[in-house]
Order: sequence, then structure tokens, then C-alpha cells
Amino acid sequence: MRGYLRLILLPSLFCSAVTARPVSYTGGWTIIEESDRQSSSALVHYTPAPSWSIGLRTEVNRDNDYAIYSVHPTLLAKRWFGKDYQGNLYFHGGIGVASGVYGNPLRDETAVYGGIMADWETRSLFAGYRSRYLDAGHFGDQFMHAARVGYAPYEGDSGDLHTWLMLEIDHRPAEEVPITATPLVRLFKGPLLLEVGYNLTVNQPLLNFTYRF
Amino acid sequence: MMNSSRTVACALLAALLSAAPVAQNHDHHDHKHEQGGADAMHQDHSDHADHDHSTPSDHTTEASNPTGNGDAHAVLTHTDDIHAALEKGGEPIVADVMGVVCDFCALAMNKIFSKREEIAAVYVDLDTKALNLVLVPGATLSDETIAELAVQAGYRVAAVRRGAQALGNAS
Repeated sequence: MRGYLRLILLPSLFCSAVTARPVSYTGGWTIIEESDRQSSSALVHYTPAPSWSIGLRTEVNRDNDYAIYSVHPTLLAKRWFGKDYQGNLYFHGGIGVASGVYGNPLRDETAVYGGIMADWETRSLFAGYRSRYLDAGHFGDQFMHAARVGYAPYEGDSGDLHTWLMLEIDHRPAEEVPITATPLVRLFKGPLLLEVGYNLTVNQPLLNFTYRF
Repeated sequence: MMNSSRTVACALLAALLSAAPVAQNHDHHDHKHEQGGADAMHQDHSDHADHDHSTPSDHTTEASNPTGNGDAHAVLTHTDDIHAALEKGGEPIVADVMGVVCDFCALAMNKIFSKREEIAAVYVDLDTKALNLVLVPGATLSDETIAELAVQAGYRVAAVRRGAQALGNAS
């Protein structure tokens, strides 16, 4: 069963795909890839209704040599609308299997995680926060949270290339370096979103990609 | 520590799963509220012959608000598709949409609205935060349906204008 799960989920790691919005429009699919200083992940999700999405997620923790294959629901708990802004509050979580990789001999374990995401955005300003607590059994538990601010130097219209300059500060209490800073550029065009950054504190690249269809 | 942390993680996941119906109800509530707004929307089912295609509006313009409260109403944005659909005699509709700030918002509405056979052309203008529609000649699409489709896309309609008013030609 777990081997079957891996067979389904591993290919998603190699699909190019992050999101500004973890819940799409009704009937929409989204592919999200995220890679930060600790892990790389891929998520494919479907949005049955505008308030929630459900997906399959693969995450490889490069520091501790394990992968998590999970079912990943996201709930849009609240969206604030304004003429010139939008704010969102999400709850996200997942349950699945944690498995050793890169020669890690530990047996498979059940993994569960959950957290919140919030953002507020205009066409030129962005602020966001996300957190997650993960329990992967004998592979370890982990808490992280991160805040991000962004500025768009120009306001593109539909279909234009949108450019954002952003700064993310993340806090991972269990890490050797708990707090790090990552400046990044977000490029947005139609269904594609690409984020490229570099963690200045620990010298690690950040690469996120989202495709929505 | 491990047991307690696992309990916390499970509790978070359980809260997430149990909260879903609440969110659905919340959206439903919002939609009901929106319907009330739709009832109050001004509807101008002007004859298509009223269209003034001589208007030099290659780009969006904003008409003055007759209420004089300082706000302005977006009027139809003329893209090639919009223009072609207007030439065929379709009814123009402009809907002010709340929270439209990025291309994913525009994409969502384009996907939802372009599936409807009543709609000949659709364009989301981020500059005016407006959804621009031209219907297939003879087709109709109620304000309530437009509001519901916007909800399906994840957004909320504040007002709908049609016909001459959508074109900025209302007296």
C-alpha cells in the first residue's frame, strides 16, 4: 500500500509546480512545488468548492532524510473582500506516511501535520503568515512559521507579467539556525507563478512554482 | 513529548476536517447576502441598438457616478474578443468584483464564466476591478447567476451594469 502511494506521489516531485492561493476556483486544479532551506515538496490539489481543496502531497526533508506522502486538505476559513484588497485565512493539514529516504533505515511511520496560513494583498502590497506543526513519529516532530512582506513596483493588468519583490523571515525553533531571512522575486503571469529567492542566513536557494488550470 | 505533540497534530487535523462544513455554511451565508445586493443592483436592459461603437474606448474608462459621491463606475473594456462579440449584437455587462487583485483572480473568473454558453466574451480588468462580459445574441444571464458564478470563482460581485450603462452611454 505504501509502495503504491509512493508510486503515485513521487512523480509529482518532478512536476514543475507554489501558490499564492492554496484554494482555487470550483473545478480547478493546481500544481504546487516548493523548495526551501529544509525540504522540497510537491502538491497537486483539486478544488471541489471555493471554500476548500483536497490534494496529494509529497515532501522530502533533506535534513533528516525522510519523505512524507500525504492527503492534504486546505480550508479557506474566511476571505475578506474589499474594492482594492483581499485577505484570506486558511487552515491546512495532512495525514500520511513518513518513510526513510537516502538510505535512512527507519521503518515507515504515520505522519500528521496542520497549520494556518493568512495573507492580505492589494495590487502592490502583500503581507502573509504561515505556520505548521508536523509529527512524523520516530522521524521527529517539527514546528515552523514564517512571515512575508512584498511590494510590486508596478501594477500589471490581466495577462501581464506581474513582478513582486518579497522578504520572508522564517522561524524553525528546532533548527541549528532558528531564524533566517530570504529575499525573493515572485513572477506571476496568467496561470503561472514562479518564486526565486536565496536564504541569506544559511545560503540555501528557494524555488517555488505554481501552475493553475 | 512525542505523544503530546502527536496529540496536538491530530487535534489540528481534526479541527481542520470538522471545520469544513462550517466554511461551507459561511459561504452560503455570504452568497445569500450577495443575493440581497444583487436585488438592489441597477439593471438596464437597454436595446442592443443603443450601442455606440464609435466610442474611442480601446482602453477602459470610468464613467462618473451619478450619485456624485466621488466613486466612479467602470465601463466595458474593449478587447478584440469583446469588440467582436459586441459587433454581433451581444449584450454588454460590467460587474464590479470585490477582491480582484491578481492574475489568479482573473484566471478563476475567466475559467468559470467562459464555460457558460450564454457568454460570448469575457475579460477581467484588474485596473477597474471589473468583470466584462458580452452575451451571445439573444441570450440572457441574470444578476443572481452572475453573482453565483463569481462565488464559484471565489469572489463577490458588488454591482452589475448592462447595456448602455455598461458602455458608459447612459444619460
